Amino acid sequence: MLRLHWQVFLFLVMFLPGQCRAAAGLEVLPEFLRPDPFGGIVAPDRSGADLRSSLYDARHRVALTGARGGYVSFHLLVKSPAPGPYTLEVAIIDPAHQVQTDLFREWFHFTESDQRYYPDALIPVRTPYSSRLPAPDNQIPQQTVQAFWVDVYIPADAKPGTLFGKAKLQTGAKAVVLPLQLVILESLIPAEDVVTVDHNSYGSSWLAGQFGDSYRRDPSRWFESDQFFGLIHAYHRIFYEHRGIFHQLGYGHSGKVGPEFAPVLTGSGRGKHIVNWDLFDRHYGPLFDGRAFSGTRRGPRPIPFVYLPINPEWPASYEFWGEPGYEAEFVNVVSEMERHFREEGWTHTNLEVFFNHKKRYMGFPWDGDEVRFPKDLNYFLEYGRLLRKALPPDSPVHFVFRADVSWDMEQQFKLLKGIVNVWCCGGGILSFYKDAPKILRERGDIVWYYGGPPSVTETSSAITELPFRAWLWGVNGFVHWLTVSPGEDPWFHFDGGGTALVYPGERFGLTEPIPSVRLKIQRNCLQDLALLDSFKRRQPLDLLKGEAARSFNNSKLDDWWNPRPALADLPSDQWLGSAIDDAMQHTEKALAHPRASAWYNVHQHVLKVAAEAK
Amino acid sequence: MRTIYLFGFGLFLAALGHAQANPDVVPGMRQELESVARVASVMVDGDVCQKIVTQRAKGYLFAVDPRDQFLAGDNYDVDEASFNAIKKILIRLSHLVSFPSDLDLWMPIEGHPGKVQMVIRNKNEMSQFWQWGALYQDMIPQMEAVLKTGQRQTVTDKPGWISVLAPVYNSLGDIVGVIEAVGRVKVDAHENVK
Repeated sequence: MLRLHWQVFLFLVMFLPGQCRAAAGLEVLPEFLRPDPFGGIVAPDRSGADLRSSLYDARHRVALTGARGGYVSFHLLVKSPAPGPYTLEVAIIDPAHQVQTDLFREWFHFTESDQRYYPDALIPVRTPYSSRLPAPDNQIPQQTVQAFWVDVYIPADAKPGTLFGKAKLQTGAKAVVLPLQLVILESLIPAEDVVTVDHNSYGSSWLAGQFGDSYRRDPSRWFESDQFFGLIHAYHRIFYEHRGIFHQLGYGHSGKVGPEFAPVLTGSGRGKHIVNWDLFDRHYGPLFDGRAFSGTRRGPRPIPFVYLPINPEWPASYEFWGEPGYEAEFVNVVSEMERHFREEGWTHTNLEVFFNHKKRYMGFPWDGDEVRFPKDLNYFLEYGRLLRKALPPDSPVHFVFRADVSWDMEQQFKLLKGIVNVWCCGGGILSFYKDAPKILRERGDIVWYYGGPPSVTETSSAITELPFRAWLWGVNGFVHWLTVSPGEDPWFHFDGGGTALVYPGERFGLTEPIPSVRLKIQRNCLQDLALLDSFKRRQPLDLLKGEAARSFNNSKLDDWWNPRPALADLPSDQWLGSAIDDAMQHTEKALAHPRASAWYNVHQHVLKVAAEAK
Repeated sequence: MRTIYLFGFGLFLAALGHAQANPDVVPGMRQELESVARVASVMVDGDVCQKIVTQRAKGYLFAVDPRDQFLAGDNYDVDEASFNAIKKILIRLSHLVSFPSDLDLWMPIEGHPGKVQMVIRNKNEMSQFWQWGALYQDMIPQMEAVLKTGQRQTVTDKPGWISVLAPVYNSLGDIVGVIEAVGRVKVDAHENVK
C-alpha cells in the first residue's frame, strides 16, 4: 500500500498539467543568462547559472545600476505553466521623462544543429503588451515561458540618483508585480567608442529576399525606390544605435558593380567620365551628411567609413590594364569623385579604396583580399600611384586605402607603408605580431581585425570577446565579416546565426531590421569598454586592461597573444593553414570556453572602478 | 542497332528543339552569341590558355586536408601574363555583342576526366554553368561534346539564359578549352554583387 502511494505521487508530479503545480509569475535574469522556453537556462550559459538571482536585492526587488549615456538590460520572463492570455507592463518612472524603457519579445529559434531552442531575434513591442502562452507564432509545444529583453536607456544628461518602477503581469484576474529600482551613476559613458565594431555585408540582393513582401509589390522598380534606400539606411541605423557601423560591399569578385553603389559612367579611354550621380547620391547622401540618423538616440552623424566601388574593373576597364587608357580612366573618374564629394561637403567619412577579389573566383589574376603570393603586392603599389595622381594632396575628402590582410601581413605592413593606411587583419595571424598595432597606429594607420559572430549555440559572452580582444590588443576595431544573413529559415530551422546579428522585421509587420540578443550584449560590452577606457586618465591603461582580462577569464594580457612562430620567417606562400592553427595553440588554450558570466564580471569591475573614480 | 541510331537521333533533335523552342531566348541574341563564339575560337590562343593555371594550383586542386578546408583555394594561383592576355581578348570580343554579355574560359583538368574548371570570368559575372565559388566541377555533356567534336553547342537550359560553347585550339590542333559566350534576356543588376 505504501509503495502504491509512492507511485501515485510520482505519477502526479510527473504527468499532471503544470497549472496544478504553479501559478503564473515573473522572473528577471541577467543579460548573459539566456532563457529557454520551458523555464531553464540555455545549455551554453548554464556555467553562469549560480548568478541567476544576481539582479535581485534582499527585498526581492530588481536592483539595476547604470552609468549615464548608455543602457541597462535584462531578460524579463513571463512564466505561465497553464496556456492562456497575459498582459505585461514594464516601466521605470522618471519624473523628468528622460529614462526610457524599451521592450522586446524574444523569439526562440529552433536550431538544427542541436535540436534546441535559443532566444535571439528581438521583436520590438509596446508596453502594455498582451499575448498568450504558448506564443501563437513561435509554435513551441509546451512553451511555458515567454522571454522579453528590457533595455533601460539612461541619457547622458539624466540626473544621477535612484528611480523606481515595476513589471506587472496580469493573467485573468490575477496580477503579479515585480518592483524595479534603477540607480543612475554619475559616471558618463563616452559617446565615442574605443573599439569600432563593423558589421559587414555584400551587395543588396539579399534585401529583396528578406523583405519579399515589399519587393514583390514592385519588383521592376524596387531597387530604385524610396523603400529600398530607406531600408539600407535602416540597416545603418540599427547598427549605429548599437554602437556599431555597417558596411555594404558594392561589387563582385569579377568587378560587377551594383547600380546604387557607383555613379554611372560613359565613354572610354580619356573620354570616360561620370554622367549620373542620382542613385549613388540617394544611397549615400543621407549617410555622408548624417540625415539618415536623424531621430536616433545617438544623434545625426556622418558614417565614419564606407566602401567605394573602386575595383580592378571599375572605374577603369581591365581591358586596358597596364596601358595608358587604364590610368586615364582611373585618374579622371576618381578625380571627378573627389570633386563631387568636396562640393557636397562630404568630408567626414573615410572613403575606402578596397580590393575584395580573390583569384580563386577567376575574375582577376591577383588577390586583392588576403594576399598570399608576394608578387600580387605590385598591384597595390600601382593603385597607390594611381590614387596619388587622382587626388589633390590637400583634399579635405578622406580617401583611404584599405587592405584586408592575413598570410603576408608582416611584409605588407613594411612594403605598403604610406600606401595602405587602413589594415583589416586576420585575428589569428595578427596574434603573432604583438608589436604591430602600436607601430601601425603610431604612423597614423587604422588597424582592425576580423572574424565572425559567434553562433547562438556558443556561450552568451562569446560575442564580447571580439571587441574586448580589440581593446586589449590596442587595435581600433573589429569586423564581423557577415552579419545580415540569418539563413533560409531562421525562425524554425535556424543555422545558429553565425552570419547574422540582425533579422528582417517583415514577419512581424515591420519595414526595418530587428536586433538580436547578441547585438545587445555586444553593445553593452562596447559601452563598458568606452567607460573603462575613459579611466585611463586616472589609472595606467595596461593596469585597466590587466584587471579586465583577469575579470573576464582569469587571463593575463600575454595570454591574448601568441609567440611569433618560426613559420613567420618563411615566405607566406610556403605557409600551411594547419601550421597556422598549430601556431595559435597558446591563445586557443588560454582563452578557451569563457564562462557565460565572463563579461558580467568585467561589467562589475567597470562599475567598481567607476565608483572609485567618483 | 537501328533502334539505337534512331534513339540517338531523336535525342539530338530533342536537344536542338529545346534550344530553339525556348521562348525566353530572343533569336537575335542567339545569333550574336553564336557569331562571337565563332570568332573567339579563332582569336583565343589555346597555348596561352594552357599556361594560365600554375603547376602549384593544379597540384592542390583536388587536395583535401580535414584540418585545412581552404587548402586548394589558398594555393590557387595563375600566371598573370597569360591570364591578362586572354582576359583582355575576351573583354574585347564581348564588345562585338550589342547587349551585356560575358565570354568566359573553361578548361578541362588533365588527369581528371569529366571535370572542368572555370579559368576566367568577366565583369557581368554571368555564366549558365559555374557553381559559384567552385574551383572545379562536373563537366556538362555539351562541354564534353565541344571538347570531343569541336562543334559549337548552344545551351538554353536555364530560362532566359543563352550560352554558346565554342572550342579553343592550341598550336597542335588540340581542343584545350571551351569559351562560354553568355547572355541573359533580362539582366539582373544585383545578382552576384557579393
